[in-house]
Amino acid sequence: MIEAKNINFYYGDFHALKNISIAIKPNTVTAFIGPSGCGKSTFLRLFNRMNDLIENTRLNGECLIEGKNIYDKSVDIDALRKRVGMVFQKPNPFPKSIFENVAYGLRVNDMGNKQFIQQRVEESLKGAALWDEVKDNLHTSAYELSGGQQQRLCIARALAVAPSVILMDEPASALDPISTSKIEELVHELKQQYTIVIVTHNMQQAARVSDNTGFFMHGELVEYSDTKKMFLNPDKESTQNYITGRFG
Amino acid sequence: MQKRKIIRRILDNITEKLLTISGAVTGIAILFITFFLFTEGAALFQSPQVEHGYALYVNSSNPVNTLQPEETKAIFDAEITNWNTLGGKNSEIKIFRIDDAFQIYPESELGENYELLPAKLGEIISKEENILAFLPTQYAPQGTAVKALAAKNIQPKEYFLGKEWLPTATPVPLFGVLPLVLGTLLVSIVALIIALPLGLGVAIYLSELASDKQRRLLKPVIELLAGIPSVVYGFFGLVVLVPIVQKTLNLPVGETAFTGSLLLAIMALPTIISVAEDALRNTPRAMREASLALGATQWQTIYRVVIPYAKSGISAAVVLGIGRAIGETMAVMMVTGNAAVMPHSLMESVRTIPATIAAELGEAPAGGAHYQALFLLGCILFVFTMIISISAEIISKKKTYKTH
Repeated sequence: MIEAKNINFYYGDFHALKNISIAIKPNTVTAFIGPSGCGKSTFLRLFNRMNDLIENTRLNGECLIEGKNIYDKSVDIDALRKRVGMVFQKPNPFPKSIFENVAYGLRVNDMGNKQFIQQRVEESLKGAALWDEVKDNLHTSAYELSGGQQQRLCIARALAVAPSVILMDEPASALDPISTSKIEELVHELKQQYTIVIVTHNMQQAARVSDNTGFFMHGELVEYSDTKKMFLNPDKESTQNYITGRFG
Repeated sequence: MQKRKIIRRILDNITEKLLTISGAVTGIAILFITFFLFTEGAALFQSPQVEHGYALYVNSSNPVNTLQPEETKAIFDAEITNWNTLGGKNSEIKIFRIDDAFQIYPESELGENYELLPAKLGEIISKEENILAFLPTQYAPQGTAVKALAAKNIQPKEYFLGKEWLPTATPVPLFGVLPLVLGTLLVSIVALIIALPLGLGVAIYLSELASDKQRRLLKPVIELLAGIPSVVYGFFGLVVLVPIVQKTLNLPVGETAFTGSLLLAIMALPTIISVAEDALRNTPRAMREASLALGATQWQTIYRVVIPYAKSGISAAVVLGIGRAIGETMAVMMVTGNAAVMPHSLMESVRTIPATIAAELGEAPAGGAHYQALFLLGCILFVFTMIISISAEIISKKKTYKTH
């Protein structure tokens, strides 16, 4: 489903990702863990070409989604980003109403008429487990919501355009424990329909939500395996040290 | 140790007091300026319509009791020559000025200090039934057959709706501000129509499309333009723009409202660009990324997310642009031709409110009606800019959701 081959990535002269290869199966949750600055977020942002926005960067290697190299010249970046949704570290709803936030992706991609949008917004909010809390005030500002609700709104916003992959960049790091557990439950639910890649600082979270885990350090993918194996019996010593909290 | 602590506390205290005082002084200064402007301006309506120290007299048999300022002016311009147009008898109006008295009577008959003048003037007015005498009140004519026309004060209606601005006309100066107000609005609005799309376009280019290198080069240059003194702009306008406008549009003169607008647009551009660009660039990166991550194109992101987010900053840019345009004096004065007439088209000379104040305040006697009329013009300008900033405030608040 997602396959990265010999990825090397540079910010100017800084070699941020070193020869990374990985294969991610559909309908699984994959977690990337590792200390700050290890390149896990940079790697995640390759999958929807978000790194293109940063000037003076360079990429070598291939990144295939559904068998197609997304860095091929013929690729329509906007269409790619529609297929590969993203949820960011801090909740970042638009300064619009709740409804318009979810409808945004549908509107910019010219998807469907008014009725379809209405229906899709409801489905997406239900999918993000937010519908019951907001159904009576869909037209109030998204900023009236709490941080956790805003993050679920951002997930609903990503779901609305029907992506096949959802990238989550530390989606719960700015949230309280209750909101965090709601997001984690949600990730579990969403696995049925989407392929999810999640970057997290929190190892317990990785252990709780993911099927597979990749451990990054100094721009290298140190270890990538089944989550249970990774946490119980890692192959590498540095993985062991990180997981047991000896550094990071 | 103890000593140092005390000194520091005293210094802190002094700083605090100084800051409070500077705040208070600024507030008081603003209040004082506003108060001064409006009291001076409002005093205009306590000034008589007729030139200060003079009055109009007629024969007491004349049924006309009062004259409108425009009527008086028309009489003295020989546009009205018969009393019947004014509701009087069918007889020609005979205008009489103080100088005429010296032609009738030799100076010896008027007494050493002209103490006999009032009686003689009374005599003249009594003899002539169709006379209209414009005389100093110091020598008010005496006699039973003399009637002074009612000395009304200048009316707000005449000021605000008057179509003629002739502040030095005798015997009746006309203070109709409509040509000046319309001139100002015309020049400013056209300037904005030119400058806004251009300025916002450049701002969007700089903040969204230009590379870092281009931005680093262009931004200081644009900001430098904002610092050029307006008289230099005016000079440029006079030497460069005026001949260009005259030639390309084939006009008799190049000093037109349009030239003024063009120059104002150039002057307002740097402000609009730099304020709007700052506002656009203040849109958080997270907003752009969220939009792009949903498959929106760069343009969709700009007009659906970045511009709405920067709305209040953009309206600040608009307000500053309008403020510059409406209040600009020197440059506009140099290129618009300064004809205080009702503007009919863009290709005619106009005169703006600030240009009028600048040009005339020096020659208006302090405390006189002309002086007060100019102050009132200042008040109008003040109210204009206030309305603009308040409405901009309302626009920018409307439907923008608060971020916390």
